[in-house]
Amino acid sequence: MQTPNLTMSPESPDNPFRARPSRAKYYESAILGLMRVATYVILLCGAAIIGTIVVKGAATLFQSSFPFVNVTFLSEAPETLHIFEYEGRKMELGDRAYRDFLRSEAARGSTAKPVGEQSIVYSAGGIFPNIVGTILLVVGSMAIALVLGVSSAIYLNEYAQQGRWVNFIRLAVLNLAGVPSIVFGLFGFGMFVIFLGWKTSLMAGWFTLAFMVLPVVITASEEALKAVPRSFREGSLALGATKWQTIRKAVLPFALPGILTSSILGIARVAGETAPIMFTAAYVIRDRLPWDVERVADFFFQGVMALPYHIYVVSTKIPQNEHTERIQYGTALVFLLIVAAIATSSILLRNRLRRANKW
Amino acid sequence: MPPDDARGSATGTNPTLVIGRARRRFLGLTLDNVIQGFFGGNALAAIIVLGLIVIFLFREGGEFFGQNQHNLEVYRKAGLEYVDYMRRQEGGHAVLNRQLLEIRREAFASFISGKAGQGTLSPEAANARLAEFDHFSEKFSDAVMPLRTHVSELGELAVETKTRFAVSEDRKTQRAQLLAVGKGGEAAKVLIEEVDYRAALAPILAMWGDYQRINRELARQLETLVVEMPLAPIPSLVSQMAEFKRGVQGYVATFPDVERELQAWNHSAPIGWHESFTSFIFGYEWLTASFWQDWYGILPLLAGSVLVSLIALFISVPFAIAAAVYVNQIARRSEQRLIKPAIEFISAIPSVVLGFFGIVVLGHYVRSLSQEPWLSWVPGFPVIERLNALTAGCLLALISIPAIFTLAEDALNNVPSALREASFALGASRIQTMLRVIMPAAVSGIISAILLGFGRVIGETMVVLLCAGNRIAIPDFMSGPSVVTQPVHTMTGIIAQEMGEVSPGSIHYRALFIVGVVLFFLSLFINYVAQRIVLKYRRAL
Repeated sequence: MQTPNLTMSPESPDNPFRARPSRAKYYESAILGLMRVATYVILLCGAAIIGTIVVKGAATLFQSSFPFVNVTFLSEAPETLHIFEYEGRKMELGDRAYRDFLRSEAARGSTAKPVGEQSIVYSAGGIFPNIVGTILLVVGSMAIALVLGVSSAIYLNEYAQQGRWVNFIRLAVLNLAGVPSIVFGLFGFGMFVIFLGWKTSLMAGWFTLAFMVLPVVITASEEALKAVPRSFREGSLALGATKWQTIRKAVLPFALPGILTSSILGIARVAGETAPIMFTAAYVIRDRLPWDVERVADFFFQGVMALPYHIYVVSTKIPQNEHTERIQYGTALVFLLIVAAIATSSILLRNRLRRANKW
Repeated sequence: MPPDDARGSATGTNPTLVIGRARRRFLGLTLDNVIQGFFGGNALAAIIVLGLIVIFLFREGGEFFGQNQHNLEVYRKAGLEYVDYMRRQEGGHAVLNRQLLEIRREAFASFISGKAGQGTLSPEAANARLAEFDHFSEKFSDAVMPLRTHVSELGELAVETKTRFAVSEDRKTQRAQLLAVGKGGEAAKVLIEEVDYRAALAPILAMWGDYQRINRELARQLETLVVEMPLAPIPSLVSQMAEFKRGVQGYVATFPDVERELQAWNHSAPIGWHESFTSFIFGYEWLTASFWQDWYGILPLLAGSVLVSLIALFISVPFAIAAAVYVNQIARRSEQRLIKPAIEFISAIPSVVLGFFGIVVLGHYVRSLSQEPWLSWVPGFPVIERLNALTAGCLLALISIPAIFTLAEDALNNVPSALREASFALGASRIQTMLRVIMPAAVSGIISAILLGFGRVIGETMVVLLCAGNRIAIPDFMSGPSVVTQPVHTMTGIIAQEMGEVSPGSIHYRALFIVGVVLFFLSLFINYVAQRIVLKYRRAL
């Protein structure tokens, strides 16, 4: 008598239960394959866009000799680029260098004139004021949004009497999170720039951006507070702690990871948005750096240059050719790097805190 | 928690019992009261501010309808509306003229290429063949000349009245400003000329007889022209010539209607509030800073926004949902850990960078791709404009994919695993389980994900501003699928583009705020519906 082969492989022809090829199986694998392709096409598209900008922008941002990073690009203000021919040589110079050059040539007693001169705005120099402006905008608006948002969440979740009103407010805040950023820009323009008369200024930009992320911060912070078990609060109160002591010692430490990650995502959003600052805070060009002011108040009521707006300006207001490509891709890359750094840190932080804060 | 923390160092002395300890008060408030007040105050401030958004959008935009009513009133009183009837009539002739030119172009092309069956002709010979046709089309286009002259004369008169009105309005505000700062003497010196519309209109209306004469003459000329119309230059164009003939006859038949409308027109007929409203909601023209008349109709912008969003969703929904199902149901853990953060990372790419990419790379790429001969069967190819709804739609798809993916994946995740296991236990295949068990259970979440993706896309500004082509016109939906390659303008784009240039308080400024209000409520509505779908279905499950 033949003993059944217990170690028979699933595909073995002797296995009576082996999977047989069928039309359904064929379709199944085809559909699954299609889904996989679709997923990787998405990633490929994203990679193509980032890749293009990184490859082309790297030529501007990095250099082959020490210090390997193009310091001029990161530390100077945008300038007009002059392209001309001088005594048979093709030259490309930024505005200041161009003037110096003409002066030195005149001093040398040369009588040659630049030929075929062509000047393109913003295509020389660097983007230092833009980086500074973006950082100022992000820091200020996030400070406002965090104070207002986290306190509101604490109040709504810990102090307020739960009922119809609080639920209505929650619903309203949740819905406001989906309102387009341009509408917030419009609101900021109407309220801060026109009604309060702040003009195009840092303050107007701060508040506009802060109110744009406020719904996100409130919703996410409340979510984080809700995730803290009720027994923590009850235990603390039973020990005689006051409400504030309970919140400070038994609730906030456990909710903090969630609040932090949401706020970092908020930073990425604030840094990346262009529409709200277009007519509330951003200048196309400004000669002075933000701290170059006479009175302290002037600091708050000055417009700044910002990276996202600068990208908009250089991609619409100047022609696209080999002379302008340098600054366009370079700016886009620096901006992308800043936003990517914020987003990555938020993703990493979230994963880390999720592991660390299990109760 | 360390035990001494709950007691706090608030008192310095160290009572042994917590209960009954007197709390330090300041202005009758304990520290806890103050803290609660701080949080409550912040919450109040946040909520007030969020409420202010609605108030400010309405405050700035609300006066639009009043101003637009005024705008339409001037349009009527100054006689612009009257002249517009004639302008439209003149426009009808221009359409027919274009038709004629189109016929000539085709005939010429087929003569040159030899498709007409008479061998290839040199351009001169082809022109000679078309001499009779040209003579006819010249006479046809000349016939409208008297009407054109007449219309432009009347138009100048009407515009002049309108300008006088604008000047007097300016003076009025000037006087009001002077009075406001207390300069009564100077205010009195500002001359304000009240526009007498009736008198200003009299010369226009007096030319009614002229118009009638011109109109009848035009009708007579066109009718005789049509009768002695030359034969079609090539046989294949016979049907087009017949169509043209019918077009002319139909056109002439409208003349009595125009006359009736002109006679029935009353310059003092009041313009109601609803007319101002409908001219915005159903207005098919957004025309600003025009010498003739400004129109603020939202339809072209709304149509553009919707078209671009639909293109984006058409591309993104299959991809996003396929990816969500794949990641949730099929992918291995290691693959999941790679794909999810990668897609989240795509959502972090700022939209202005995507727009920039669209301008410098995608636009060129799509255009050169569309010029490939083997793709000429695709509707709308080769694309005429480098930046069009398709370019913007592709990039918006990339923006909406992460949004839809994340939410749809969540929805799939929330399906109880018991359902899946039960389905497998019954012997269902993976595809059957996915399509018949898991998808139906998650469908509410997926639909709301798509809706929220739609909300995200329709509110996106920078990509459409940079890549959609910014032509303010209702896309020609009659042209079939090739409509996707037309340049459009959007609601978000128009705000971003024009807000910087308008003077606060002007009608244009208010119109932009009203567009913002529409966007605001549209996105609120989409969000609300998405939430309702999830809630309703969750109860049913």
